[in-house]
Amino acid sequence: MASTHTNITPTTEAPAKGSLLVSLASLPANALETTLANLALAFPSQSVLVATPDPAPQLSSGSPLRLLPYTQAAPSTTPWFLTAADYVNTFKLVQENGASACLLLGAESQSLHPDAIRSLAAAAASTDLVVSHYNLRPREGLVNSAILYPVTRGLFGSSPRFPLAIDLALSPRMAERLAASAQKFTAASQGDALIWPITEAVIANYSIAEADAGTRTFPQPSADLNTLLTQIAGSLFSDVDAKASFWQRGRSFKPGRSFPQTIDPADGSSDIASMLETFRLAYTNLHEIWSLILPPNSLLGLKRLSVMPPDAFRIPDALWSRIVYDFILAYRLRTINRGHLLGALTPLYLAWVASHLTLVNNGTAPEAHVQEIAAAFEADKPYFVSRWRWPDRFNP
Amino acid sequence: MWQQVELALSQSAHRVLFQLASFLPGLVAMLLAVLFLAAIGAGLAALLRRFLFSIKFDERFARNSIAAITDWAPSHSPTVLIARTAFWGCVILGCIIGISAFDASYSSNSQMSVVLLPYLTHSVGAIILLTLGNLVARFLSRSVLIGAVNAKLTYARFLSLGVKWLVLVLTTAMVLDHLEIGGTVVDLAFGILFGGIVLTLSLAVGIGSRDIVTRSLEKNVDRPLDPIPGDPDYKSPTEPLRHF
Repeated sequence: MASTHTNITPTTEAPAKGSLLVSLASLPANALETTLANLALAFPSQSVLVATPDPAPQLSSGSPLRLLPYTQAAPSTTPWFLTAADYVNTFKLVQENGASACLLLGAESQSLHPDAIRSLAAAAASTDLVVSHYNLRPREGLVNSAILYPVTRGLFGSSPRFPLAIDLALSPRMAERLAASAQKFTAASQGDALIWPITEAVIANYSIAEADAGTRTFPQPSADLNTLLTQIAGSLFSDVDAKASFWQRGRSFKPGRSFPQTIDPADGSSDIASMLETFRLAYTNLHEIWSLILPPNSLLGLKRLSVMPPDAFRIPDALWSRIVYDFILAYRLRTINRGHLLGALTPLYLAWVASHLTLVNNGTAPEAHVQEIAAAFEADKPYFVSRWRWPDRFNP
Repeated sequence: MWQQVELALSQSAHRVLFQLASFLPGLVAMLLAVLFLAAIGAGLAALLRRFLFSIKFDERFARNSIAAITDWAPSHSPTVLIARTAFWGCVILGCIIGISAFDASYSSNSQMSVVLLPYLTHSVGAIILLTLGNLVARFLSRSVLIGAVNAKLTYARFLSLGVKWLVLVLTTAMVLDHLEIGGTVVDLAFGILFGGIVLTLSLAVGIGSRDIVTRSLEKNVDRPLDPIPGDPDYKSPTEPLRHF
């Protein structure tokens, strides 16, 4: 890792137009110094403007970084995701400084390797939206593997593995588009609302790429799983609802570049048992609520799962994709209160996690399973479109 | 004697029929007012709906607002919400006109108007209370059920039923009190029932949590020393699940 001595020039003159802008999240002093050191290593001979909402450190003069302290126009209180406020702040900075490209680095950015930052910036030179691709362990990023990636790939045909990545590179027009979407939320004092850059880029027909970000430390949310799943899944479902006229048209999936994956053995037998217990308890108590949302075939599938032995517990990919699609439809139709709907999704998600970990424990490559899930979502898109258009008539 | 009986009967029948005859016009006036205003409301709602669809009100509204009113609107349509508001506004106006027409058809000394009119208005309030109470009971019971299941409480359904019946009992007591039925008997019965339900739920939560507390205490007191690497019983620590 880099030393803490970093050559930074606090900016006193207008930066050169067309330079790279790096927008940092609020970081503790040590983390900020480490991040600045990594940026200096990543861009040793390039003029880079670094915008930070924190007090700028007093360090030795030199080059190549120019520090730009700024006051957030819209404060964000959710550090574990990029929110509407972050995009509004970023676009304001891009506009004021005439940047040619912008890197938006989320919380805990000091754990990003300089190579990862450099690859983000390199891809941003020719792409509107560059999304980080992280190297996660089998027990990490499970909501993304279960719901976020399969839905965005299935409906929008997009390849990025992490639709809600917290490290992005944006072109000025992409930053503007995201800020325009975010403005609706910040104007209504909902600065912590989530924006989905992938879907915005797909709809605008902007170019999208992925950059290898390697391993990284992620900020861990303080809220519980139920609250976060409600927030994230609710935001995604709402986005799918808003963009219905787009994804109902045929889209083919274009695979992106492949990234090397490390496979670690996962041992989570106690977690699996706990999650299966939650699922069985939910099946007994929430069956009536699920029957308002899911069609008979899916309910039958869940019934079979409820009596499956733990060693062989496996949710078929097609069943999981239809469950998620039916929940999105129920979200749109307001079949039940949306808070209740997303609360009822949590035990089903935990059942999927148990199934996924069981497969991984039995030797299946986790990434291979996630890709199969995503392919199942693609294959079941016609089912979802039919249910969306004729919810009462098409109910298998 | 039979003549006197006959006279008494015919006089009382005449009195009652007279009361009924003077009561009926007021009732008919009230019903006519409600029906007439409801018909006007339906026509107004249809006109409004047609006009708002023609100017693409829903699309313009969705473009300029977040989700708040669209979330509340039936079928996500502010147009339908406005049309239904207009219709029900006219119905309520019709009820108010009908009740005042009913009142006007009696003299102020009439016992019937003194007794019946306030009861009519209280009945409307009672129906609203009952409806709201039912909605709140269903909402809360479902919230508790889902929350308790996600918290892995085995008595989730019992808790949910308890909350539902708490709210329903409270609603019923409020409705009966509003209609001035039962008096202190209702108050007493409500108090006993409500207290009983709360006590039952407390016992259920307490007894249900006993195992959790016992296990937690046993873990701290009788906990064996952790095996160290190299021990045959040693297992490498399990990595925590990271959902996000």
